[in-house]
Amino acid sequence: MDGIKTDKLESSLLIVILDTNPVWWGKKKIAQDPMTLSHCVDCLTVLANSHLMVSHNNKLAVIAAHTDISTFLYPSSQPARPDIFKLPDDGQYEVFNSVESQLRTQLKTLIEADKAQVDYMEEQSSDSLLAGAMCMALCYIHRLEKECPIGESLTARILILKGSDDCPSQYMNFMNAVFTAQKQNVVIDACILDSESGLLQQACDITGGTYLNIPQAQGLLQYLLWVFLPDPSSRSKMALPPRAQVDYRAACFCHRNLIEIGYVCSVCLSIYCSFSPICSTCQTTFKIIGPQKLVKKKIKKP
Amino acid sequence: MSKSSEEVLLIVKNVKNKKTDGTLYLMGERMAWMLESKNVFNISYMYADIKAQKISPDSKEKVQLQVILHDGSANTFLFNNPRSRQTQMQDRESVKELLQQLLPKFKRKISAELEEKNRLLQEDPESFQLYKDLVVSGVITPEEFWASRAHMLPSSTSSSSSSGGKTAPAQNVGVSPAFLADIKPVTDGANGLKYNLTQDIIQSIFKTYPMVKKKHAEAVPHQVSDCEFWSRFFQSHYFHRDRHALSSEDIFTECAKNDEEVMKDEITKNVNDPLVDLTQMKDQSLEDDYRGIVDDTRTSNNVSNQAMIRRFNQHSTLVLRACTSASTGGVASENSAVEGGRKEKDSSRKSKSNEVNHVNGGVAHPTNGTSDSVEEPHRKKKRIKEKIGFEDLDDKEESEGVTLRLTQMDRYLHGPTPSSSTASASVASRLGHDDVTSEDAILSVASEVEGWGSARHMVLGSTEALSVLGELSPGGALMSGTSLQQLHQQVSPATRDEIKQNYNAMCELLRHFWSCFPVSSKSLEDKVVKMRQTLERFEMSKLAPLKEKLSQYHYAMNLTGHLEEMLRAAYLKFDAWQARRNARRP
Ligand SMILES: [Zn+2]
Ligand SMILES: [Zn+2]
Repeated sequence: MDGIKTDKLESSLLIVILDTNPVWWGKKKIAQDPMTLSHCVDCLTVLANSHLMVSHNNKLAVIAAHTDISTFLYPSSQPARPDIFKLPDDGQYEVFNSVESQLRTQLKTLIEADKAQVDYMEEQSSDSLLAGAMCMALCYIHRLEKECPIGESLTARILILKGSDDCPSQYMNFMNAVFTAQKQNVVIDACILDSESGLLQQACDITGGTYLNIPQAQGLLQYLLWVFLPDPSSRSKMALPPRAQVDYRAACFCHRNLIEIGYVCSVCLSIYCSFSPICSTCQTTFKIIGPQKLVKKKIKKP
Repeated sequence: MSKSSEEVLLIVKNVKNKKTDGTLYLMGERMAWMLESKNVFNISYMYADIKAQKISPDSKEKVQLQVILHDGSANTFLFNNPRSRQTQMQDRESVKELLQQLLPKFKRKISAELEEKNRLLQEDPESFQLYKDLVVSGVITPEEFWASRAHMLPSSTSSSSSSGGKTAPAQNVGVSPAFLADIKPVTDGANGLKYNLTQDIIQSIFKTYPMVKKKHAEAVPHQVSDCEFWSRFFQSHYFHRDRHALSSEDIFTECAKNDEEVMKDEITKNVNDPLVDLTQMKDQSLEDDYRGIVDDTRTSNNVSNQAMIRRFNQHSTLVLRACTSASTGGVASENSAVEGGRKEKDSSRKSKSNEVNHVNGGVAHPTNGTSDSVEEPHRKKKRIKEKIGFEDLDDKEESEGVTLRLTQMDRYLHGPTPSSSTASASVASRLGHDDVTSEDAILSVASEVEGWGSARHMVLGSTEALSVLGELSPGGALMSGTSLQQLHQQVSPATRDEIKQNYNAMCELLRHFWSCFPVSSKSLEDKVVKMRQTLERFEMSKLAPLKEKLSQYHYAMNLTGHLEEMLRAAYLKFDAWQARRNARRP
């Protein structure tokens, strides 16, 4: 393998999108779940450093998908504060140290801002702005690809660490981001910390990434290193968990339920789970007669 | 006037067919013949099947009538009334007359349009009855009948029907230019001529000369009988070639005057194409090589000839007009006029003499100067524009289309309600913290974050790592369905051995190959070149057959993939090295 790469400078960009939804993490902490934000950030730091260690050319970015903002945790846009940024005293590689300190500093700022606002806040939804974070990641990838000098090649992938639930209101943005990623050959991996995410399953399937809902929170790092550290190109040579069957069912416009067979308006493509003579989206009237409703059989009471 | 199709219109006794006596019946839709003694029709012809009828000349002794069918067969009926030859003639005449009336109505129409009408009539008994009542009995003409039923005729040719709105009228059937010449007069022995006018010819005359139609409507039957009208028509100067003397008593005088007007109108309307100068046209070929008459000095002073040619032209114009006139609506009229004008010019060009042009031009010029002077520049402009404009160079006009009025657009933007929401809720409730407010949650995380220092924690315990590895190893909880653990069962031991041998052999060759790098001496250089050749030979003689063989087993995995990859890596390395070496050497 290395024989092929000798002459060409290849770098791999890993963008980790961390779901930093404070409500979800807080509830986990109060519930004394082993999966805490601290643990997750620790694991993420190790993964990030491992990625940087695999090759000198490898690049890293970490984006936080928060409830009201998506922001870069690393590389941070703000200059490192000199009082926090100090050279490691135990001989650690400076880049590793800077990754960790920036990650934590940024995350702290983010959550402190939440804490400051907590009194004015209405009931926080547990949604995270995942789609926004993905778009930021794609833009960042695009920028780095443009900046990439001739003779070098950059492969980029996105790893999403997600705990909170899927957000249906971001559906369209999310799917657009996924298709953009597919078009840009960006692989999306997903490491799910809690409940299954139908949207991310689709995203991973479409872009050729790996979707994994981890069974043991304590072993997070092991999953990350085993499954998500290897480049997508080298994954085919490894014995990794098989692709899961993905649920591509669409949701009806009337109840938002997932349906396997439904009615689609021929004018505006709205999806309905039951026939209605007037499309409620575009007001088209359908003269065709829908399937006859089954006449309810009168059940004679004994 | 309603009559059933089986209504007997005429019964003629004493009609012989094939030397047997019988009775001839003419009914609403068919003619039939019955043997004397029987009460079933021996012969029955639908009128639609009859192509024509023929009668024996009066000079012949037998009084006969022959019916010719569309399939070519014919049958002859002999009128054999014992009373006298006179009655025989009368019998035949009555049959002939009736058939003459009936046959055109039932004439089988070949064109698709008429077939369509026929089908319509058959499918719609109401219309059929109406048709029989009105058209067959002669109350209205078929055109009028169908004009009121245009909506019932699906126009298969026109696309406008699909775009909604009115159905386009079916294509109009034109008129044969020779229809008048084709009426062959027959001498009736005495001094007179006999014209056999069919319904078709009459229709053609009407179509071509609307004025005659108008006259016919006016005069028949109040002033003259139908027969009288037509005989006058043929007698009239109108039909004859020279029309100098126009007697005022003639009912067709007006027609002739109208014709003059139409002609003038035609000339002013159409013979002012700015791109064609008819006055400059000569009846000659352009090249001497064709031996055409270069200098045409023939001029005719024969007024009757000129008048004749004028009439030819007019006739052609009207014939051409006949097929467009019916279809002209308000919008189409301009087009058809132009179209007709062009055609007219074609025909005038063909009509062998440039005197026509003189005549036309002579009339056209003064008129241009007067009435059309306002319209003229506009027409000219339009004509030129028509010539210089190319449709494919035009800007494509984007049709606006129908805008969708959508309500609740957000429904497109929403994904499914997470079916997992119930699941996560259950997790929360299981933990007994369903009531945790987000405020508490945020505060709790904030307190956790506050305590972050730079101290590193033990992130992964060995026991957890081991158990996760168990899950991720083949056969583990997360590895269900992987085919890897079955591969050694799939592949037979013999094949496995073969692959192993090939691996061994190739790895040995590759080891030799890679040991040449860095190529620091001449001997290594030679060796690396030799090794490259050896690898190629190995690929050809060993790897390719092995691949071939394995492909027959259809394994899920490409078992030679790795071998090929290793070879490619070696080739790449060699090529890079060779390129660099060649670059260094001038
Ligand atoms: Zn529904
Ligand atoms: Zn609709």
